[in-house]
Amino acid sequence: MQQTTKTLMMCIFIAALVSSMACSKKQIAPNYAENTGTALELEETDLGAGEFTAIDPSDPILNAIFKNILFNYDQFSLTPQARATLDSIAEWMKSNPRKVLMIEGHCDDRGTNEYNLALGDRRANSAKTYLVQLGVDSARIYTISYGEERPIVNGSSESIWTKNRRGEFKLK
Amino acid sequence: MHSQSMNRKSPALTHTRYAAVLLAACLIAIFLITPAAAKVYIDINAPSATRVPIIVPPFQNTGSQPDAQKLSKRMASIISTDLEFSGLFRIIDHKLLNKTYLRGVTRNQIKWDSLSVTGAEAIVTGAFSVSNNRVNIELRLFDAVQGRFIMGKKYSGTLKEHRLICHRFASEIFRELTGAPGMFETGIVFVMRTGGNKELYYCDYDGSNQRRLTTYNSLTLSPSFSPDASMLAFTSYRAGNPDLYLMHLAQGRTEKISSKKGINISPDWSPDGKKIALTLSLKDGNSEIYTLDINSRKLERITKHWATDVSPKWSPDGKHMAFVSSRSGNPQIYIFTIANRAVRRITFGKGNYNTSPAWSPRGDRIIYAGMTGGKFNINSISPSGSNYQQLTARQGNNEDPSWSPDGRYITFSSNRTGRSEIYIMRADGTGQKRITFGNNEKYDPTWSPIPGK
Repeated sequence: MQQTTKTLMMCIFIAALVSSMACSKKQIAPNYAENTGTALELEETDLGAGEFTAIDPSDPILNAIFKNILFNYDQFSLTPQARATLDSIAEWMKSNPRKVLMIEGHCDDRGTNEYNLALGDRRANSAKTYLVQLGVDSARIYTISYGEERPIVNGSSESIWTKNRRGEFKLK
Repeated sequence: MHSQSMNRKSPALTHTRYAAVLLAACLIAIFLITPAAAKVYIDINAPSATRVPIIVPPFQNTGSQPDAQKLSKRMASIISTDLEFSGLFRIIDHKLLNKTYLRGVTRNQIKWDSLSVTGAEAIVTGAFSVSNNRVNIELRLFDAVQGRFIMGKKYSGTLKEHRLICHRFASEIFRELTGAPGMFETGIVFVMRTGGNKELYYCDYDGSNQRRLTTYNSLTLSPSFSPDASMLAFTSYRAGNPDLYLMHLAQGRTEKISSKKGINISPDWSPDGKKIALTLSLKDGNSEIYTLDINSRKLERITKHWATDVSPKWSPDGKHMAFVSSRSGNPQIYIFTIANRAVRRITFGKGNYNTSPAWSPRGDRIIYAGMTGGKFNINSISPSGSNYQQLTARQGNNEDPSWSPDGRYITFSSNRTGRSEIYIMRADGTGQKRITFGNNEKYDPTWSPIPGK
């Protein structure tokens, strides 16, 4: 309380001093705006994104089905191999109706972060659209883009970039 | 108003705020009355302005405490480094003169005859003392040819604030001699990789006073300052999805402002501070540009195209937006005119991957990152698409350009040392200077507005 009073006094003093000199110099402090329409910050987690787990590497059947699908440079169209993988995934999803799928869209690290976030989003959605066409309920498919932020392999060579331009699958 | 701002703690820009109030209170003496209409000594718009030779000898310690922190040399060096980087000054080596000739601080003390042999046309003198962890300093600028006092200031601040004091006086010198505001008190916010995450950091424009703004242990990207420097907009995955957040810098408080399905990325504040342009992918991952009204939270769609549209940047008059689109088959820079919703492409023939546009504060140039021969460089072009200039060359990848608020300088990231770091340069590409160091990669710098402007 005493601290507050002290601070307040000091502020009044400074304010008076500042205003008395107002004509002689510019305002130096950043002019912090009054808050408008702001809410208290809440910790919030999107459960849709949070609970998905990577395909168990010790499960040979699931690993054979949920292989990463690969994309050409700066492209989001599905290659014939990607379609073949998605065909198997669609079958599995239809015979495991309680499972929910997360498709992550990724890019290689060439190019610009923001553009790659958009590209990764498109890649994930290409795969989702194809699965929906094959009869998987769209409510069972989530997508997220990580752009170039989550490479499988670090480095700069065509073979590394090829691996990183991918759609990756998680289940819950 | 002042009591509020004083009572709250902020992780960001606290020193600036604190020092600003403090300096406002303590900046007491102006030694002579500054002429009402200051003479402009340097024409900053002249195509080949000659650099004013200026000398900044180490400042005199007039106090009883020894100069344990070597403030004498350091403070003089901060001012010379600022002036040198501006490109309008040539720093004369003070070692050309015997120390005893440089002891003078006031007009009567300076040995004008001996100074003239150095060729200096201006001199900055300083006298300081340190007590109770505070520094008190008088700084003066003289015309060395006429032996005439131009202006002087007295500052008092904590020892930590000595850099701010020097930057402020360098800005005063710049303003006095050019008639344009100096920007040496500005800062840069950038993204740093920490482990598998990315967090936001702040540093002064020269790289000093680095500190962390976020500890989200997540991917945090694309910071953008509000025009009054009070807020930052950015994208973070802290809640799982790439959502858009606002950080109130004075209060150190963050709120989520856009969390649509898909991406909520690449924010850019409108010049009037009322809207944020951003990229959303509301339908099937097709990213389009929108504006978000900060008060009403109303969204307005800007682009409508099957191709990827991303990274909007307002023109300074708020009438246009530069953005990136892949509608030609690969990413190129386009301009959207708000009044008639017309879209035109401005990058042709120079590489097939042009991104990250930034519109100059004067409106006459757009800088961007363009890939040619597998490498990114910073390029500059007029909004009509003419007068192309390449600003960086043969030094790794150079990306993420952002203008200083006065449009005289550019900050960008470069991996020319093998690791991505933050650099600054003049708008013509000269004076390239690395400002960050350490083991972690740094990206996507954004230059702050001039505080209080």
